[in-house]
Amino acid sequence: MGKRRVVGPTAWILGGAGLFIGAVAAWLVSQGNPGNMGLCIACFLRDIAGFFVGGVTNQGAVAYIRPEIIGIILGAMGAALVMREFRPRGGSAPLVRFVLGFIFMGGALIFLGCTVRAWLRLGGGDLSALWGVLGIVAGVLAGIVVLKRGFNLGRGKTLAKPLGWVLPALAVVLLAFALLAAFGAKPEFATQTKEGAFATGDKPPAVFLKADGVPDQVLKPEGGSLAEDGSIVSEDGSVVASADSVAAAKPQPGGKRAALWVSLLAGLAIGVVAQRSRFCSIGGIRDAILVKRFDLLFGVIGLVVGATVVNLLLGQYNLGFTNQPVAHNDALGSFVAMTVAAFAAMLLGGCPFRQVIMGSEGDADSTMAVAGMLAGAGFMHWGTLASSAKGLAPMAWPALGVMAVILVAIALFGARKKA
Amino acid sequence: MKEVDVRGLSCPMPLMQTKQALDDGTRDLLVLADSGTAKANVVALLSDAGFNVTVEDTGAEYRITAVRD
Repeated sequence: MGKRRVVGPTAWILGGAGLFIGAVAAWLVSQGNPGNMGLCIACFLRDIAGFFVGGVTNQGAVAYIRPEIIGIILGAMGAALVMREFRPRGGSAPLVRFVLGFIFMGGALIFLGCTVRAWLRLGGGDLSALWGVLGIVAGVLAGIVVLKRGFNLGRGKTLAKPLGWVLPALAVVLLAFALLAAFGAKPEFATQTKEGAFATGDKPPAVFLKADGVPDQVLKPEGGSLAEDGSIVSEDGSVVASADSVAAAKPQPGGKRAALWVSLLAGLAIGVVAQRSRFCSIGGIRDAILVKRFDLLFGVIGLVVGATVVNLLLGQYNLGFTNQPVAHNDALGSFVAMTVAAFAAMLLGGCPFRQVIMGSEGDADSTMAVAGMLAGAGFMHWGTLASSAKGLAPMAWPALGVMAVILVAIALFGARKKA
Repeated sequence: MKEVDVRGLSCPMPLMQTKQALDDGTRDLLVLADSGTAKANVVALLSDAGFNVTVEDTGAEYRITAVRD
C-alpha cells in the first residue's frame, strides 16, 4: 500500500535526467560547441534553418545542421518505439501550434537562447540569464492564469500512421544533408558557416579563419586579403576592417561545433533520456505552482547543477553579467523576450525540447510547432529582428509587442470551459 | 468508479483533471490516456498520492486504474 509523498521516484529520475543532460551539454562546449550552447533547441533549429535558407535570410554566421537535433529525434523515436509509446496522433489546432512555435522562436532569438539554454547559461555562470529566467517565471504565471480559465487547444486524435513519421523522416533527410556537407558535397543552394570562422563587427562584417591563433585566411569579402598592419582589405585595396576590428573579431556561433559524430551520439543519448524522463524546461515551475507537483522542477534543478559542476570541472565557468558567450546584457529585453517565449510554450503544453521529443513519438501537432520554430527562425533573421551580442535589434521591441498581442488573442480565443 | 478521460489533451491538462478528481475525494478512478507522457505523469501523481495503480495498454489507449483503501 502506497503512502502519500511529495517527492516520489519520478522526481529523482527527472533530477538524474536533468543532471545528465546538463552535464553532456556543458561537455559539448568543451568539444567545440558555442559557449553555454552545448544544447539549445531554438539556436540549433535556427542553425538548421540557416543551412537551407541562410543565403536569403542573412544567416551566414549561424548556418549548420546541428547533429544534436538529429540525434535527439532519432533517440527519442527509438526509445518510444521500444517502449511502445510511438503513437501517431494530432489534430489539436495544428495551425495555432505552428504560430505558437513561430512566436516561441521569436522570443528565444531576442533573448538569445530557448528555455533550455536560459538554464544552461545560468549553469555557466552567466548571470545575465537571470533576467531570462525571471521572464520564464512570468510567462509561466501568465500561462497558469489562462489555463485556470479553461484554455485548451482541443483534443488530439489518433492519426493515420504516416503522419506520425514526419519528424523522424525529417531527421533522416537532415542526416543525409549533414553527411553530404561533412564530406564536402554540400549542395549549391545551402549555406554553412565555415568551421572556426571569425567575424568582425563591421557592416558588412569581414570573415576570416585563424591559424595558430592569428588571422590567416580571409573568407569575406571574396578576394579580400590581410594587410601588413593587420587590417583586412578588399580586392580593390579599400580597408574593410581595421586592425583593431580584426583583433576584436568574435567567432561565428555556427562555426563552433563539436565533431559530427560526437554531436550525433550525444544527441541520441539526450533524446533517449528526455523521452523516458519527460524532461521539460518550463513544466517544473508550472506544475509546482499549478498542481503542487515537483517532479519536473527536479529536472531543471538537475540541469543547472549538472551544467555548473561540469563547467567548473572543465574550467569553463565564468561568473558575471558581462563578457558572456552569445549573450547580451539587456535586462528588460531578456525578461520580456523570455516572458513571451515561455507564455507561448505554456499554450503549447511544453517547452521546445518537449515539442521535438513528442514530435519524435509521432505527435504531428508537436511537429507543427517545430515547423513553426524553423519558419520563425528564418523570419527573425531575414527581418533582422534577432538579437546579437551587442543587444536587441532596433525593431525587436515592436516585434515583441506584436507577438504578445497575438499570444493574448490566442489565449482568449482558446479559453473554453470544457475540453 | 469515477472516469477521467484525458485522451488527446496537452500538458498539464491530464494532471489538472486527475488532480481535480482526487481533490473531489475520489477513492477509485479510471483514467484514459493516449500518450506516454500523460500516462507517466498521471501514474506518478496517483502513486505519490497513495493509490495502487495498474496500467493496461489496449493499443489505442492506456487504461489507468487507481484504488485507495
